[in-house]
Amino acid sequence: MEGTLHSLLHGFAVALQFDNVWYAFLGCLVGTLVGVLPGIGPLSGISILLPVTFGMNATQAIIMLAGIYYGSQYGGSTTSILMRIPGEASSVMTCIDGYAMAKRGRAGAALCIAAVGSWIAGTFGVVVLTVVAPPLATLAVRFGPPEYTALLILGLIFLAYMSSSSLIRTLLMACLGLLLGMIGIDNMTGHFRYSFNLAELGDGIGIVPVAVGLFGLGEILSTPSNQVVGEVIQPKLRDLLPSRQEWREAAFPIGRGTLLGFIIGIIPGSAHVISSFLSYALEKRVSKHPEQFGKGAVAGVAGPESANNAASTGAFVPMLALGIPTSPITAVLIGALMLHGVSVGPTLVNDHPDVFWGFVASMYVGNLMLLALNLPLVSVFVTVLRIPYAYLYPLIIMFCVIGVYEVNNSIVDVWIMLVMGVLGYWLRKFNFDPAPLVLGLVIAPILEQSLRQSLIMSNGDYLIFFQRPIALVLLGVAGGLLLLSAIALIRHRTDWRTKLAEAEAGEPG
Amino acid sequence: MTLRADHVAGAAFVGFGLLVIALSGDLPMGGLSMPGSGFLPKILAGLMIFFGLVLIARAGESRPFAEVEWTDAKHAAAVTAITAAGIAAFELLGFLITMVLLMFLLLVAIERRPLHWAALYSLGVVGLTYVTFEYLLKTPLVTGPFGF
Repeated sequence: MEGTLHSLLHGFAVALQFDNVWYAFLGCLVGTLVGVLPGIGPLSGISILLPVTFGMNATQAIIMLAGIYYGSQYGGSTTSILMRIPGEASSVMTCIDGYAMAKRGRAGAALCIAAVGSWIAGTFGVVVLTVVAPPLATLAVRFGPPEYTALLILGLIFLAYMSSSSLIRTLLMACLGLLLGMIGIDNMTGHFRYSFNLAELGDGIGIVPVAVGLFGLGEILSTPSNQVVGEVIQPKLRDLLPSRQEWREAAFPIGRGTLLGFIIGIIPGSAHVISSFLSYALEKRVSKHPEQFGKGAVAGVAGPESANNAASTGAFVPMLALGIPTSPITAVLIGALMLHGVSVGPTLVNDHPDVFWGFVASMYVGNLMLLALNLPLVSVFVTVLRIPYAYLYPLIIMFCVIGVYEVNNSIVDVWIMLVMGVLGYWLRKFNFDPAPLVLGLVIAPILEQSLRQSLIMSNGDYLIFFQRPIALVLLGVAGGLLLLSAIALIRHRTDWRTKLAEAEAGEPG
Repeated sequence: MTLRADHVAGAAFVGFGLLVIALSGDLPMGGLSMPGSGFLPKILAGLMIFFGLVLIARAGESRPFAEVEWTDAKHAAAVTAITAAGIAAFELLGFLITMVLLMFLLLVAIERRPLHWAALYSLGVVGLTYVTFEYLLKTPLVTGPFGF
């Protein structure tokens, strides 16, 4: 513990250098804007700005990009509360009660509760990350290929189980993502796979063009400008403070959302999205007045907003300790560090203490900055929302093209982005969630390598996955989740996931 | 029988799975003790076909294909076509010219905005982005035949 504190102090010394504070501020500001603007989520925001970090060192780059990530979680609540448009996917649940509060003249209170809840959750997440990540990294050194295989399979199954769309749809998306991840040279045998003699495909399909295409361009193609309502509720600064009663109603949901979000964040999957859905369901279940949900319940804002922030910090635990991307966003962050010559994994804390502890300490600073940014500057962000969407989306397309091209200076990547944009449009038409596809693409190389290494190690005996305790437990949990989903599928039962999907569609009830 | 959305989606995934298997013909499958480069792709393609068939079998729960809303398809097709033209021209004309034309076309041809506003907005925004990337962020953008 003393060693951790000493290292954290070293981290603060790094994070509080002027340059690093500036990049943390820039990341938080851009992240808030990314969260505020509909149609551009944290994944596309980070991907688009990745080339901007090429002139920085690894610590500055990760501080700024992570600031965009957790900043977007704060910013996403603004459009949800003021316009009933989720700035990004994890703010969907905030729309329901946040907008209802705004309609009742409590927009300021809703924004304040969302910001304070996010700050508490974010800070709690960083404290736990500080304590948990280094020992977990030590434990992770004992992970072999079978354990990694089991962990990644659990991640995919968990995502499928938690998804509000059906199990089959999620597994189909994951399969498609894994298959796209097979494109390029096979690292173990040197075979070219599905590259059609295109040299650019030899290294495989990048995460950035796929993510920007599916989420950035796909969203634009699905959103004709005449369908975007520009009505924004303008909160008054003096109404920002919630009443004593509202604080009381928010306290426990913030605590529950924080704990729930952090735990979900650690598990591979689209954690920040799932956590807000689960937190909403939990709050509704434990509430003495569930009938108020959908009509402006404070808990319906406090819980999900805290949960998505805690989850976004929780997702950094497996990323920093194990080197495993648990979501497309952490995958892009790992990619960004690799571009700067830093390989993420159990040895990161010892090999690059400046990067690790500087990054952790910067999150304490960043969360404070976000609290200071989000409340007083809410009117500024509301002004941004007044830019007509017809003028906004050509700008986003331009940033998509620059962002994708600049990563590898490859026009093939930009074409891939366009194809993925069209695919994203088609998937939305048929109610498929593209997030598992990106996660599949991200984990495909690690999953394939660890699976094949495991089989080679055991001379083809697949029982190796059941003979090692950690792998056995992980696969046992995955099997249990599959069984639960299969039962619901066979019995055609309307379970909590279907109800959440209905709530997402705006039918709280 | 009513054709439903999941019939079409499931069939598309089954078709894609079959295509992957067809394209994997020359990739060695290997054995369990030494899996080849075709090992996982073929398993995944098989799984995709299986899940696609399950989707078709359970398609009764989905809405009829005729009810899938396509009113935004014209907008999507127009944006895709203009973006594709922009991508094709990007390395030939460079960032500045391509992006000004791309934004101008999107605003005038799709959004029906006044010509002078569209021109002013495109020039202003692209110019500002160019200055930001080139001089403030020191990130060089693609140059065209005129050196910018």
